Amino acid sequence: IMSKNKSSESVKVVVRCRPLSRKEESNGPAGGIVQMDLRLGQVILRNPRAPPSEPQKTFTFDAVYDSSSKQRDLYDESVRPLIDSVLAGFNGTIFAYGQTGTGKTYTMQGLWLDPEKQGVIPNAFDHIFTHISRSQSDKQYLVRASYLEIYLEEIRDLLDPNHGNTRGLELRESPETGVYVQDLTSCVCKSIKEIEEVMNVGNQARAVGATDMNEHSSRSHALFLITVECSQPGPDGRKHIRVGRLNLVDLAGSERQAKTGVQGDRLKEAAKINLSLSALGNVISALADGRSSHVPYRDSKLTRLLQDSLGGNAKTVMVATLGPAPQHYDETLTTLRYANRAKNIQNQPRVNEDPKDALLREFQKEIARLRAQLNHRRFRSKQKKEQVDGEAWERDGDEEEEEVEEEEVEKEAEEFVKLEEQRLEKENEAIREDQFLLAEEKQKLLGENEKMMGNLRKRQEATEQLTARYKAMESKLLVGGKNIIDHTNEQQKMLEMKRQEIAEQTRREREMQQQMLIQDEEAVELRETFTSLQQEVEAKTKKLKKLYAKLQCTKAEIKDVNDEHVRSRQELEQTQNELTRELKFKYLIIENFIPPEEKNKIMNRLMFDPDEDEWKFKPLVPDERLVPLIFHHF
Amino acid sequence: MASINSVEWRSICDKFTNAQRLTETESRNDPENDPFRSKYKARELLREVYCSLKSFEAGDGEEDAGGENCEQRPPDQPVDGQTEDAFSQGFSGDSPAGMRAAKLGAVEYYLGVNHVDTEELSAGQEHLMNCMKMLEKCRASSENVSLFIHVRNQLGILWAGRDETETAQGFLESAESIYQRYMKEDGRPPTDMTEYFTTEENLLTHQERTKRLFELAYTHTMYYLAQVYKNLGENERAATYCHSTLQRQLQLNQFSPMEWALNAATLSQYYITKGRYMEGRHCLAAATVISGLAGEVPSEAAAQESETESERREQLQQKRAEIARCWIKYCLNLLQDAKKLLEDNIGELDTDRQDELKRARRQEEEEEEKGRKSALLFGSEDTFDSIASVEEKVMCLFPLDFTEARTVFLVGQNYVTQAKEYFQMDGYVTDHIEILQDHSSLFRALAFFEEDLERRCKMHKRRVDMLEPICNDLNSRYYLLIRRQLMFELAETYNEMMDLKLTLANRQADNHSLDGHTIKKFNHLCSASAKYFQMFLDSLCSPEGKPPEHLEEEVLRPALVARFRVARLHSKLISSSPPVQLENLNRALENYKYVVQYCEAHPEAPAAVETELELSTEMVGLLPLKINRLKSRMAANN
Repeated sequence: IMSKNKSSESVKVVVRCRPLSRKEESNGPAGGIVQMDLRLGQVILRNPRAPPSEPQKTFTFDAVYDSSSKQRDLYDESVRPLIDSVLAGFNGTIFAYGQTGTGKTYTMQGLWLDPEKQGVIPNAFDHIFTHISRSQSDKQYLVRASYLEIYLEEIRDLLDPNHGNTRGLELRESPETGVYVQDLTSCVCKSIKEIEEVMNVGNQARAVGATDMNEHSSRSHALFLITVECSQPGPDGRKHIRVGRLNLVDLAGSERQAKTGVQGDRLKEAAKINLSLSALGNVISALADGRSSHVPYRDSKLTRLLQDSLGGNAKTVMVATLGPAPQHYDETLTTLRYANRAKNIQNQPRVNEDPKDALLREFQKEIARLRAQLNHRRFRSKQKKEQVDGEAWERDGDEEEEEVEEEEVEKEAEEFVKLEEQRLEKENEAIREDQFLLAEEKQKLLGENEKMMGNLRKRQEATEQLTARYKAMESKLLVGGKNIIDHTNEQQKMLEMKRQEIAEQTRREREMQQQMLIQDEEAVELRETFTSLQQEVEAKTKKLKKLYAKLQCTKAEIKDVNDEHVRSRQELEQTQNELTRELKFKYLIIENFIPPEEKNKIMNRLMFDPDEDEWKFKPLVPDERLVPLIFHHF
Repeated sequence: MASINSVEWRSICDKFTNAQRLTETESRNDPENDPFRSKYKARELLREVYCSLKSFEAGDGEEDAGGENCEQRPPDQPVDGQTEDAFSQGFSGDSPAGMRAAKLGAVEYYLGVNHVDTEELSAGQEHLMNCMKMLEKCRASSENVSLFIHVRNQLGILWAGRDETETAQGFLESAESIYQRYMKEDGRPPTDMTEYFTTEENLLTHQERTKRLFELAYTHTMYYLAQVYKNLGENERAATYCHSTLQRQLQLNQFSPMEWALNAATLSQYYITKGRYMEGRHCLAAATVISGLAGEVPSEAAAQESETESERREQLQQKRAEIARCWIKYCLNLLQDAKKLLEDNIGELDTDRQDELKRARRQEEEEEEKGRKSALLFGSEDTFDSIASVEEKVMCLFPLDFTEARTVFLVGQNYVTQAKEYFQMDGYVTDHIEILQDHSSLFRALAFFEEDLERRCKMHKRRVDMLEPICNDLNSRYYLLIRRQLMFELAETYNEMMDLKLTLANRQADNHSLDGHTIKKFNHLCSASAKYFQMFLDSLCSPEGKPPEHLEEEVLRPALVARFRVARLHSKLISSSPPVQLENLNRALENYKYVVQYCEAHPEAPAAVETELELSTEMVGLLPLKINRLKSRMAANN
C-alpha cells in the first residue's frame, strides 16, 4: 500500500545500454550479457562466469533502452515530462551515472551536428526555447545558464574566463534561497544559439584545464544549470513569477565513485586501513559521530549542491548507462544495484512561486525605470519642439504605455532633431551671408549656434544610449511571438504532438504492465479462501514454489558476492605466479648478461620523505650542527 | 663479512638506493596505462640486491634458510609467535649473522611492500613473512628493531585490507609490545633499514633522523590499531589509540597545529558523549592551546592584499570557530547531564539528591586528581602549563547548584559568541542556527538551576527572542526541517513560560482569582504556544492543506505530541465569555480525538505516545460532559 504523501514522488530511474563495440565483438562469441525487456522495463543480466543453471538477475526500472534505442525515444519518454515540469516552475535534475565508456556523455550531449543523435542537453535547449516561442504573449520569460565542474572537491566556474587561475568557488547558504555557489557566473540566454554558445565556452574551458581529457572527465562532475523564470499575470491582476531550475549532471565515472565520493561519501570501504596520518580526522570523526556532539565534518560539495535533487524539492531522473561486454559484468552489476537503490529516494517537488531571488522581477523593475527616464526625456524634447514650431499639438495622456506610440514618439524625436539641425545650419548660413553684421558679432553668433548644436547632439547621444540600454534589457525578456519566434509549421507541430502522445502512451503501458505483475503476485497471496483441501494444497504449493525460487535467487545473490571476492583473489594470485615466473627468468638474464650501471651521484643524495610529501637532500658534509635544523621540518 | 668499501658492496648500495628512488619518486610520474612501471623496475633491482647479498656473503659458511624455501607454513595462517622470543632468542643484532639476517630481511621487507603496492598481495605477504622468518633468527636490538616494527605494520595493513581484522590486530599488537619492551630494556636510537645499505661514514650523522623515523613508525602502529579497533567496533579502545596517536604527534613535534587541534577537538566529542568530561575537557584545552600555535588570524586588510593571506584567514577563522563549537557542546552536555542527575520525576530540582551529591563531591574531587595522574595527557614541555590553565577555566565535574551551573553556562555562551563571528547567518544558515539552538539549550539547562521563577521566566524569554525572528525569516522551501525544529522549540518554550507565570500568580494570590493583567499575559503565552504547535502541524500538511494520512516515523511522536498539547492549551485558555469557552473546548476535544483515532488506525502509534494517549482517551470521555454542562448553562442564561 502506498502510504506516502501524494506530494512526494520517487526518483525516476531509466537504464540505457550501449551496443557492443567492434573490439568487444571480436573479443569472443559470447555476445552481450545484458538483455532488456522494453515493454516491462526490465534488465536481465547474465553472469558470463556462472553455470547456465544459475538464475539470471532481473531488475525493473521506470524505463529501459537497449542498444537500438534512439536518443529521441529516451528524450520523449523520460526527459520531456521533466522539462515540462521545469517550465511550469519545478526544480528538475537529470543525472547520468555509469562506468566510464558506457555512453554518459553520449546520452547527455550526443552528437550536436546530427539532429538524430543529439543528446538530452541539446534536446532540452530546443524544448525550452520552442516552448517559450509558442507561449502566450502575456508571459515573459528569462532564461539563465551556469556551468561548473567539481574536481577533487573544488568547484570551478567554467564560464569565467579566468577560472583556471582563481581559487575554487565556495558553497554558501542564504536564509531565503538555500545553498548556492558564491560568485558563480550566470549568462542570460535569448536563443538556442546563445545557450549553445554558453555550453561550448564551458566545454572548452573544461578541456583546457585538463591535461588528459579522458582522465579528467572520468574524475570530475560537470553540472549545467538552467534557470527559467516566467512571469504571468494571475487572476489577481498582479504578475506572478514561477522559477524552474534544471540541473543537468554528468557524474564522474562510477568506477571512481568510491574515490570521488558521491554515494553520501560515508559509504566506507569496509575494513581498509587508511595509511596516511592526514586521515586521522576521519577516523576520529567516525568515533565521535553522535547526536549531541559537534563533528567538524563537511558533506561533499556535490551532495550539498544537489541535496534538493535526492530527497528534496525536485523531480529527478537518473539515467544509468551500462556496457554489455562480459568483461564489464562486475561494474554493470554495481551500476544496476546502485540504480535500483536510487528508485527508493523520495522527493517532494513543489512549484517555486514568487521567490524573492527572481531575477525577472529585478529586470522588470529596471526596464520600467529606464522607460520612465526615456519618456521623461522625450517629453522634454517634445515640449521644446512645440515651442519652436509654435504649433499647438495635442498630446495623449497615457503615451507611455503603448509601444506603437513609443515608436512614433521615437521617430518624431528623431525628426525633431533633424529639423533642429537643419534650422541651425540654415541660421549659420544666414549669419555667414549677412554682410551687414560685424565680423566679431558674426563669430559670436556662430559660436552660440555651434554650442546649441553641441548640446543637441549630446542630448541626442544620451537618449540613444538610454534607448539602447532599454532595448538590450527588454530583449532579454522573452515573449513568445515577439522576440522569439517559432519556425515550425502546423504539420510539424502536429507530428510532434503525436509523437509525444505516443511516448506518453508507451510510458503508461509500461507502468500498467509493471503494476499487473505486482498485482499478480499479490493476488496469489490474497486468494486465501479455498473451496477444498485439494485446492488449498495446490495454491500453497504454487506459492511455495514461487517463494522457493525467490529464496534461490537471494541465495545466489549472496553466494555471488562471496564468490566475487574469492575469484578476484584467485585471479590475482594466478597472474602473480605467472609474473613471478617470468620475472625470475628475466632476473636470471639480467644477472648473467648485464653489468651493473653507474649511478648518478646527485640522484643518490635525493631522499623522498613520504610523510612530509617533500624532497630532502642528504647532507653532503656530515655536520652535527645541521642535523637539528633539518629535522625541524619533520 | 666483506669489506664495506668493496666494489661489490658499493654496487649493492647503489642498486638499493636506486630502487628506493624509483619506488618513492619516479613512480609518481608513471603513465596511466603502465601505472607500476617504476615499481616493477625497483622490484628487479631489489631482487638483484637480494641475490648479490646472498652470494656476497655465502662464503661465511652459514646455513642458508631465507628466500626461496618458504613454503613450510601455509600463508593463510600467519602467526606472529615471536613477541615473547624476540628479546631472548636468536643471534644478537650486532653479530655478523644477525646483521646478515637483518639485511636479507630488510630486502624481503621492501620486496613485500613493493608487491603490495603493485596489488600482488599474496606475493607481498610471502615476502613479508620471509622477512619475519629472517627476524625470528635474531634478538630484537637497536640494529633491527625498526624492521621488527615496520614489517608488522605492513602485515597489519595487508590483512586489514582483506577484511581479516583479527589477524591484522595480532601483528599490530605485537609491534606495539615489541616497541614498548625495546624502549624499556634498551632504548638506544635504532638503526633504520635504509641504513643497512649506505656507506659507513654516513651512519652516525643520521642517528637523530633515524630515531624520528622509528618513532614515526610506532606512531603509525598506534594509528593503524585505532582503525583496527574501530573496525572491530571497539570504539573505546579506538579512541584511546587515536588519543595516543595525537599525543605522539605532539610529543615528537610531527604535526600541523590547526589539523591537530581540530582532531583533538573532535576527539573531545567522543569523550563527552561517553560522559568522560575530564578527558573531553583535556582534549579541548589542548586544541585551544595548539591552535594558538598556528599564529594570529591575518587582518582583513592583509587578506584583501594577498590571496594566500585571505585563504589563511578563512582557514584559521573557520577552524577556530569549529573548536569553539566543540566547546559549546562540552558545556551544554555537562549542564544537561547534571540536570538529568538532579531532576525529580516532574523535572524539578531534587534537593535531597543535590545534598547527597554535594557530600560525595569531595571524594569525587580526589578521584579527579587521581584520574588526571593516570590519564594520557597531552603536551610538550612548553604547552603543558598553558593547557592546564585553559582547563582550569571550566569545571569537569557536574555542576550542582546555580552558581556552578552559571560559570559553565558563561563559558559556553562565550564560545557561542566566538563561533557566531565566523558562522554568520548570511552564508552559513545551517551552522548559524545550530549554534543558536545550542545557545537556547544552554539557557534552558541553566534555567533548571535557577530558583527564582521570575528570572527563570526571563531566561526562557531570551530563548524566544533569539529563535522567533529566525524561524519566521527562514524559507520553508529549503529549511523545512530546521523550521520545524524551531517551531517545536518555540512552542515548548512558550508553554514553559506559561506554566511559570501560572505558578507565580498562584503563589502571589493564594486564592484562585487572578487579576486581569495576569490573565492577559497567561492567555498570550498560551495562544503563542498553541500557535507554534499548530504551525508545526501545518508544516506537515500537503500543499492543499490536508493533514497526512500516515505520519512518517521521524515525525510520528512530535506530531501527536503537538496535537495533544494544542488540545491541552485550548482547554487551559481563560475566558469569561461562554461562547469563547465553548469554542476552545471544542477545539481541545477535536485534537484529543485526533490522537485517539490516529492511534486506533495505526498500530505502530500507541507505543510512541503512551502517556499522551492515555490522557487523551480520558479527555475524550470527560470533555463532552463539560461541554454539555457549559451548553446547558448557556441555554439557561439565555
